[in-house]
Amino acid sequence: MTENSSVTRFTGAARYVLDPELADIVNISMALEMPLLLKGEPGTGKTMLAHAIAENLQMPLIVLNVKSSMKLVETLYQYDTLTRLNDSRFGDSKRDVSNIEEYIRMGKIGQAFTADQRTVLLIDEIDKADTDFQDDMLDVLDQMAFDIIEIDKTIRARHRPVFVITSNAKKDLSDPFLGRCNFHHIAFPDPKMMRKIVNVHFPQIDRQLAENTIAAFYRLRELEAVEKRPATRELLNWIRALNADPDFRPKDLAKGDVPYLGVLFKKSQDYQIAANAVRRRRLF
Amino acid sequence: MFIDFFYKLKDVGIPVKPTAFLTLHRALDMGLVQSLGEFYTASRSILVKSERYFDLFDQVFAHHFEGAEMPDGEAFELDEMAKVMLEAWLQDPKTLAEAMGIDENKLRRMSPDELIDYFKERLKEQTGRHDGGGRWIGTGGTSPVGHSGYHPGGMRVGGVSRNRSALKVAMDRRYRDYALSGPLRQSMMGEALKRLRHLVPSGPRDQVNIDETLYQTMKNGGEIEIVFERSLKDRLNVILAIDNGGWSMEPYIPVVQTLFNHARSQFKVLETYFFHNTIYDYLWGDAARYKKPKRIDELAAADPATRLILVGDASMAPYELMATDGSIHIEERSGQPSIERLKFLARTFRHAVWLNPVPQHMWGYTRTIAAIAQIFAMFELSIDGLEKAIAHLMAR
Repeated sequence: MTENSSVTRFTGAARYVLDPELADIVNISMALEMPLLLKGEPGTGKTMLAHAIAENLQMPLIVLNVKSSMKLVETLYQYDTLTRLNDSRFGDSKRDVSNIEEYIRMGKIGQAFTADQRTVLLIDEIDKADTDFQDDMLDVLDQMAFDIIEIDKTIRARHRPVFVITSNAKKDLSDPFLGRCNFHHIAFPDPKMMRKIVNVHFPQIDRQLAENTIAAFYRLRELEAVEKRPATRELLNWIRALNADPDFRPKDLAKGDVPYLGVLFKKSQDYQIAANAVRRRRLF
Repeated sequence: MFIDFFYKLKDVGIPVKPTAFLTLHRALDMGLVQSLGEFYTASRSILVKSERYFDLFDQVFAHHFEGAEMPDGEAFELDEMAKVMLEAWLQDPKTLAEAMGIDENKLRRMSPDELIDYFKERLKEQTGRHDGGGRWIGTGGTSPVGHSGYHPGGMRVGGVSRNRSALKVAMDRRYRDYALSGPLRQSMMGEALKRLRHLVPSGPRDQVNIDETLYQTMKNGGEIEIVFERSLKDRLNVILAIDNGGWSMEPYIPVVQTLFNHARSQFKVLETYFFHNTIYDYLWGDAARYKKPKRIDELAAADPATRLILVGDASMAPYELMATDGSIHIEERSGQPSIERLKFLARTFRHAVWLNPVPQHMWGYTRTIAAIAQIFAMFELSIDGLEKAIAHLMAR
């Protein structure tokens, strides 16, 4: 192993409970210089992983939130015609109007390529964009370079970014794209793991509160016909809400009082189902 | 190294690629893998690209490195066959009972699970495939169960019938590959569906039109005049109704599913419904056709510019289409035969098509296809047919 790669070994971060398996995968992907594609239910920490890598390896994190209408070129660079037009009319800026390069603004991928140091580039929810987006990105991933058509210049990655790509598992990405990535599916944490996660976020938490909330949380997750099941994020917010309520006692949860259901269930139908279940069956 | 392992993965049906295998070796060469545990994570994340195959991968890995038992492909096949037989039993208990030479009433008393087990037992009696033999499953033989046989009470297991009214699937599992050939079709479907994006200006005027801005600025003697235009938005409403019921559609559901997966992200408003064979009083919002009924009459209130896309094989018993009580659901008794409902839909939505997975040259053999094709413009569920269908939908 080269000295360099041992320096950039990912070992976890302060607010992120790392599964050792996932740590291996991250390290292998970094060593092989391959993007890591993460799938899994919402709230399993796909996005958090990128934050954790950036924090742990002290690299800047660049986040590209993919939108459905996005074109790849927007993520690479943008040619700011309006400013140039404005400058050419008024001539009061320091920019040189005849030099188009001064009006090129880097997009997120462009920023990662031109950064002074190695960065973590998170491409979040790539499945939102259409297949063209992914196909176009293949070239960029392969070459680690892209062309700026307006000035006929090729931008090469100065430091190869650590790519973390997330997808929400609704549809599979195209084969050639998958071929260029390493893949991992993050399973929903089990109660033991969840306990660790809760402890990381609330080091001071009362033991009984943690146990009761987690137990209640997993039972609520099992409710049928719920469209969006509460995930880690909801649990953490819920604990925060319960902590903030002076009247709340952890014992109540075991008795069947489940306050602040709205923190866990965001869709009105889901909320109804959960509220009914709690009231009628006395789940707990 | 590990070439056996690689081929074993391939054999059980995990789509592993040679390039990924080379990447794995690169990882090994770099000394990144020090233990079997690390080899497990590394090989899985590099070779396997979908969580659907994780389970299979685990089994092969356990077999190869720890001598565990190989995943039992045959058990799976038996499962599938037994399921087909269960379907057959539900359709027509008498024929099946006779074919198997057992008392119909005995079968009748069993629960579905017991039935499946029972069928599996019977299937196990036959080891391996045989065609033309005298045991009771195979092809072209004298046994009562199997296809192309001539036993009078015989029934079909596997093989494809011309008029889609006999059992299919079981032995040959010829559609097993649909799942894997899916992606190819998916991207093609996506291409075709993109044409449905009917771009019309809407939304706020928030996009700068560069060309027009320059032109107006020049016209203005150099004073900047910025011209905004509306961003383009998709305004097409689409109602997609899929026949997901019964075994006659079963081989096509994966294909329809790919189409439907793609459709979801394509349009501004997309409503998806399900039906079984044909439409009576209700469409269903859930795939189980149970929880979310939608009255057909309510659709009259929908925007008439909505595009209606029906997907189904349109193959059924004629009475299901023509009779006033054709529906198998007791609550659907409005007294209108399904064909009237279809006509109503065709009147409500000027832009409607029926996509049929049955190849076009076979349409003439099934009466109900011909009848429905008179109501809706019918197209084959293929790239070609899809293109034509979309051209039809976009016509004024």
